[in-house]
Amino acid sequence: MTNSIAEIEDADCMFVIGSNTTEAHPVIALRMKKALRRGAKLLVADPRKTWLARHADLHLQLTPGTDIPLLCGMAYVILEEGLQDQNYIDNLTENFDEFAAAVNEWPPERAAKVCGVPAGMIREAARIYATTERAGIYYTLGITEHICGVDNVRALSNLALITGHIGRESAGVNPLRGQNNVQGCNDMGNNPTYLPGYQAVDNADELRKFSDAWGSELSSVPGLRLDQMMAGMHDDSVKCFYIMGEDPIISEPNLSHVEKGFAKLDFVVCQDIFLTETARKYADVVLPSSCFAEKSGTFTNSERRVQRVRRSVDPPGNARTDLRILLDVARALGHDFGEENPRAIWDEVAALSPKFSGIHYARIEEVGLQWPCPDVDHPGTKFLHEGAPIRGKGLLYAVDHVPPGEEPCAEYPVLLTTGRTLYHYNAATMTMRSPGNVEKQSLPFVEISPDDARDLGVVEGQALQMESRRGQVEVLAQITDRVHPGVVWMGMHYAEARANLLTSDAKDPEIGVPEYKVTAVRLHPAG
Amino acid sequence: MSQIRLGLDGKQIEVEPHTTLLQAAHQHGIEIPTLCHDDRLDPYGGCRLCLVEVDGAPRPVAACKTVCADNMTVRTHSDDLHRLRRTMLDMLMAEHYEDVGVKPNQLQELAAEHQLVQPSLKLGRRAAYDDRNQWIGFNPGACIMCDRCVRYCDEVMQCSALEHVGQGVGAVVQPTGRKSFLDTSCELCGGCVSTCPTGALYEKQAIVKRGEEVVLGGGGPIADAECEKTRSVCTFCGVGCVLDLNTKDGKVVKVTSDIGVGPNEGNLCNKGKFAFEFIHHSDRLTEPLVRGADGELHVTSWDDALQKVAAGMNGVKQRSGPDAIGFLASSRCTNEDVYIVQKIARAAIGTNNVHSCAAT
Ligand code: SF4
Ligand code: SF4
Ligand code: SF4
Ligand code: FES
Repeated sequence: MTNSIAEIEDADCMFVIGSNTTEAHPVIALRMKKALRRGAKLLVADPRKTWLARHADLHLQLTPGTDIPLLCGMAYVILEEGLQDQNYIDNLTENFDEFAAAVNEWPPERAAKVCGVPAGMIREAARIYATTERAGIYYTLGITEHICGVDNVRALSNLALITGHIGRESAGVNPLRGQNNVQGCNDMGNNPTYLPGYQAVDNADELRKFSDAWGSELSSVPGLRLDQMMAGMHDDSVKCFYIMGEDPIISEPNLSHVEKGFAKLDFVVCQDIFLTETARKYADVVLPSSCFAEKSGTFTNSERRVQRVRRSVDPPGNARTDLRILLDVARALGHDFGEENPRAIWDEVAALSPKFSGIHYARIEEVGLQWPCPDVDHPGTKFLHEGAPIRGKGLLYAVDHVPPGEEPCAEYPVLLTTGRTLYHYNAATMTMRSPGNVEKQSLPFVEISPDDARDLGVVEGQALQMESRRGQVEVLAQITDRVHPGVVWMGMHYAEARANLLTSDAKDPEIGVPEYKVTAVRLHPAG
Repeated sequence: MSQIRLGLDGKQIEVEPHTTLLQAAHQHGIEIPTLCHDDRLDPYGGCRLCLVEVDGAPRPVAACKTVCADNMTVRTHSDDLHRLRRTMLDMLMAEHYEDVGVKPNQLQELAAEHQLVQPSLKLGRRAAYDDRNQWIGFNPGACIMCDRCVRYCDEVMQCSALEHVGQGVGAVVQPTGRKSFLDTSCELCGGCVSTCPTGALYEKQAIVKRGEEVVLGGGGPIADAECEKTRSVCTFCGVGCVLDLNTKDGKVVKVTSDIGVGPNEGNLCNKGKFAFEFIHHSDRLTEPLVRGADGELHVTSWDDALQKVAAGMNGVKQRSGPDAIGFLASSRCTNEDVYIVQKIARAAIGTNNVHSCAAT
């Protein structure tokens, strides 16, 4: 996030797009609810009528996969009506002309035809967003899990830049992170092109610093992204996986294909707290590890705040902490990375990464610190891009609509989109083992509009067979006007009805994030 | 806007406009007892425990609801106020039945601080309420109708799953229509529990021992004092809510959160508050496993498992090169854990093939 969680409640306008915040990030949603009580404006762009959508000033109920036409249409109105922050554009952005030319292709009337949101509503939304002082954008996987995920984010940042809604309190562009430590996992360099602290492997100076510190000559060849590793299993370039706390044969798209790849591997290690499907079927060695309550260290949340995690109970049986296991694996490979001491390891991270060098355990025992935090006197950074964009000038991008990898057709006429629910979490390995969550919501369901349900002749709770080009699952119908006719929605959490049997491996060409959000399916009553 | 100046317990102080007397007192380290107040809620002024004397005012005013004004002179403690507060507590204790199994709580502490041993009378006991849900317990016999829970659900969650019905001695607070929490608009966030000052609403203990058998979920209330608290961070989504794991006999039995603490200010959702039963689930892996010649996984020792990991990876490295090995780091593990993952990939194996499952 460019901003802090606490700033949300002071926003004058919240533009929430592709985020069902009340279910996926409930406590961030509390800040939004507080802002709403204060009278803040709320714009929600979502294919579903979510809680926030129902409470919004405007609900832009777009067709899944058409965010760019919507956002370009809004930019068109802002430029047409002169609502932009010309000062900010002139002094702090570049590439305006190319951007403006691209936007010029999208009068709201044309955008409306593609995204399904009436032109008048696009105009109104643009005016509200552009003319409020503290206007923040909040998004999540509904923006990124598309074939054009990167361009979606650029289209959002374009809006913030031309209105100067960035670099100030409560104004910015805020991705809300899905898993508790996605932010930290990236920060720590679990990325094929970045070392810890976003230092590039192909930057000779930065690579040298790490090679010296670690006493090994490191490779300057960028590695494979997750999707490339998955593909590498099929052409034999990847022969071995070390998998920690993940279950790729559940979580990756186009599962049947993924499993064929796993069957070809030479060696697989899984380190986890439960026996995952991947471990059960493909692991050669399974290492029993620890959950958050059994270890010490830090997590970094969505607002870049590094916070202390503390051990409160012992791992069960002979399970061990992840840190101990990893250090022992390193030792077995002939490398001594030191003792199991999270504080010392964090200090190593801080010493090697200017963004974190001012953060030490002693400073975060009570309250966490937000990076960048370059030295021990630095108070941490509440919001980014203060005064000017970090890279000097904000780059405006010319973006254009990219139709989803798969669109409804005669054979698969319905659009499936997926997401999280309030009571479960990802593959639900944890929540399905908590009796209270199961009691509230245990069976896989699909949200379907009353019209579509009538056409199919199904009633509430009836079992449906849902098929895509790649697979099929059985789910229960939940008839609701939360979705438009022609669109259905299901949670991603169920082992017995894995949404990813259906999803395609179409992906964003730049970063390889799969298009979980748009799949063409057909439905019929089961049995 | 300019600062407001006033006298508080004999000191001249300055505060921001719109500051309440209660906030001003806190800013200056002065404790005023409160019961119906929670910083996360709108000022309410229901329990009258926070009464203070203001010069010129005909009677004491509620500090939680009164906004500071220029030239006010305020006394937060006096013999009269102590007597008044004791009377209020006496009336509240008349409604609060301790023998329904409630644990020590804020109300009882305040009563003790005001030397109230036995209330002068007892009002009728509110009818018990039974619920099949596993997480939230409710004991109406202990309730004092402060409405904190109802207001939390209305103002903070905006869920309106609790209601205050009836009047006078017949009044009760309950889940809408006296249904199960599972059958109302409740989202099981536990916020009402976190704000309740009497223990009428409580966390059902997550681990129950029935003889030798350990059952997950649905236990009775457990006092904070019986638990050891460890401050940590929620393991689910990226909000990073700060919470306290309450442990007893080496097990996490409940999760609590202090008002105002962390980016969540003490609020949680159902996952952070209640969905931790998985920690002690019998499906947890407890032994290293290796796949045998029969194609099945078998229990082994750590030494053997680690040696097989090293041999397996070294073998692939020799046959196919370091870039034939890929690492998938967990977005749920700590920074320190995943730092070591990429260090193994880069420094011990020699590849940059390290990524995680989620890009946002
Ligand atoms: S648990 Fe949360 S949603 Fe449910 S009644 Fe209590 S405050 Fe309301
Ligand atoms: S249940 Fe607790 S919070 Fe709710 S009214 Fe009764 S005493 Fe107050
Ligand atoms: S308590 Fe809920 S909102 Fe907070 S971090 Fe956990 S899952 Fe996210
Ligand atoms: S705390 Fe002020 S009236 Fe209850």
